[in-house]
Amino acid sequence: MAAASRGLLARLRGLSLSAGGSPRLPFPPSRLFSAEAFVSHSDDDDAGGEGGGGGRIIEARAGVMGPTSRRTGVIGVKCGMSAMWDKWGAKVPITVLWVDDNVVTQVKTAEKEGFFALQLGAGQKKEKHLTKPEVGHFRAQGVPLKRKLREFPVTEDALLPVGTTITVRHFLPGQFVDVTGITKGKGFAGVMKKHGFSGGPASHGASLSHRSGGSTGQRDAPGRVFKNRKMPGRMGGVQRTVKNVWVYQIDPARNLLYLKGQVPGPQGSFVFVKDSIYKKPDTALLPFPTYFTQEGEPEDLEPLIADLGDVDPFMAAD
Amino acid sequence: MQSLVRNVCRAGSRGAAARLLELAAAPVAAAHPGAAQPSSAVKHLWQPYGLARPIGVDQSVRVQSRVIPAAASGFGHCAKVLVATRGLSTVGNAAEVASDSDDSTSLAVEHPPRIKFKRPDKTARHIMNILNKEAVDKVRSEREIPDVQPGCMIQMRLQVPENKRRELTLKGIVLGRRNAGINTTFRLRRLVSGIGVESVFPLYSPNIKEIKILDRKKVRRAKLYYLRDRVNALKK
Repeated sequence: MAAASRGLLARLRGLSLSAGGSPRLPFPPSRLFSAEAFVSHSDDDDAGGEGGGGGRIIEARAGVMGPTSRRTGVIGVKCGMSAMWDKWGAKVPITVLWVDDNVVTQVKTAEKEGFFALQLGAGQKKEKHLTKPEVGHFRAQGVPLKRKLREFPVTEDALLPVGTTITVRHFLPGQFVDVTGITKGKGFAGVMKKHGFSGGPASHGASLSHRSGGSTGQRDAPGRVFKNRKMPGRMGGVQRTVKNVWVYQIDPARNLLYLKGQVPGPQGSFVFVKDSIYKKPDTALLPFPTYFTQEGEPEDLEPLIADLGDVDPFMAAD
Repeated sequence: MQSLVRNVCRAGSRGAAARLLELAAAPVAAAHPGAAQPSSAVKHLWQPYGLARPIGVDQSVRVQSRVIPAAASGFGHCAKVLVATRGLSTVGNAAEVASDSDDSTSLAVEHPPRIKFKRPDKTARHIMNILNKEAVDKVRSEREIPDVQPGCMIQMRLQVPENKRRELTLKGIVLGRRNAGINTTFRLRRLVSGIGVESVFPLYSPNIKEIKILDRKKVRRAKLYYLRDRVNALKK
């Protein structure tokens, strides 16, 4: 894995810089590849399973979110779209995201990896469906096997210990989020669909050029087609981020997130939800670093709907 | 040797990466002493296996019953006996099975029990179906929704939020209905000062305050678009 090798490199570099004369290996190399290392990782300090690497102790407790703090995101499964009526009778287009069993699977720190990030895992998977390196990663961290992994850069105060569960209450109804996903593939698309060209005329003698892109350049003077010329080609299937998506409702009992509008990707695809960059949520209200379930809290919570205000928007428009 | 491994793979369906690993190791190691004395090699490798495991009463019997024939006979016979012992062990009591699976999966990562590994798109569709059904049930429990079918003459009170929440009373014939859970809509055709007007309404919209069914015509189509060409569509 790239992350592991990065960590290894950083550690080796640090060793060569600091230790200098004493070439103490960070681990016995035979131990890494033996079957024994799979079983017992608790005494193996290189596994980094306990609270992240570098001897840093990360506690799971609520903190105060500063203006520069950056929380982790969550991994969601796009379930599909529907519509709801809010309390004023306006129809809200809804995308349902399922936050499926999100768990912190790795903590990346500046001491070890050179940056602060949290790797989250979502879903479940069987061992036979994973590669050996993936299984080794999960074992080293001591977390259950996950279907999807994703790294979210965070600030130092937003670090969470490995194994922390992140639920949908990480977000507040009414806040704005950015949703990243892989768009649906459209195949080989023409310029009208792909770039929004106007195409050619429908009549007036137009021949074979109703949807064509027209000219692609000049004459002999450049004698070539400029770079970045918009042409037909593969469309979709690339990562896109939809920004400023409004969270209409959250369902903590089922870990469902109801967003207004569209998010990239087909149904059943993984999307990554983060706090919005532009429309920043109120830092005083957000659960920081994430929402921790308190004792004595009812298990089945009612869905929380965004505050729509007390003024009827339809009557106030006059 | 491969047949042994294959048989064992088949046999160890209930358990255990551990058992498979050990068994797979057995023929490989046995290849070194040579084919002349395979049974002793197998016995040699089996012995620590039996000792290392926490031995219950049943298990000790089982392990020994495996080791002894393996020592006595060749590989093929060994595999057969293994299959036979597997058959015995499955009919054993549940506690023994549980302990067996526990110590054998200590190598593997602990799974949460009984997780279904459906494809995410199927799970997603399932979730949407549940949400849709719940939304429809919720609306139906709150207010009465009549069965609006094509050919119904209906009269409904509609609140228009965009127009200062005024209430309209519409009367017309239903041309068709599009079933989509909570987003089910119907198409209403009515005459406004002699001009036919069609409009589509969500059936479960909270803005529809009341739907009254005046008459049900007998129709033989699901979509009554032919009524657009009739002059006196409402009279029929």
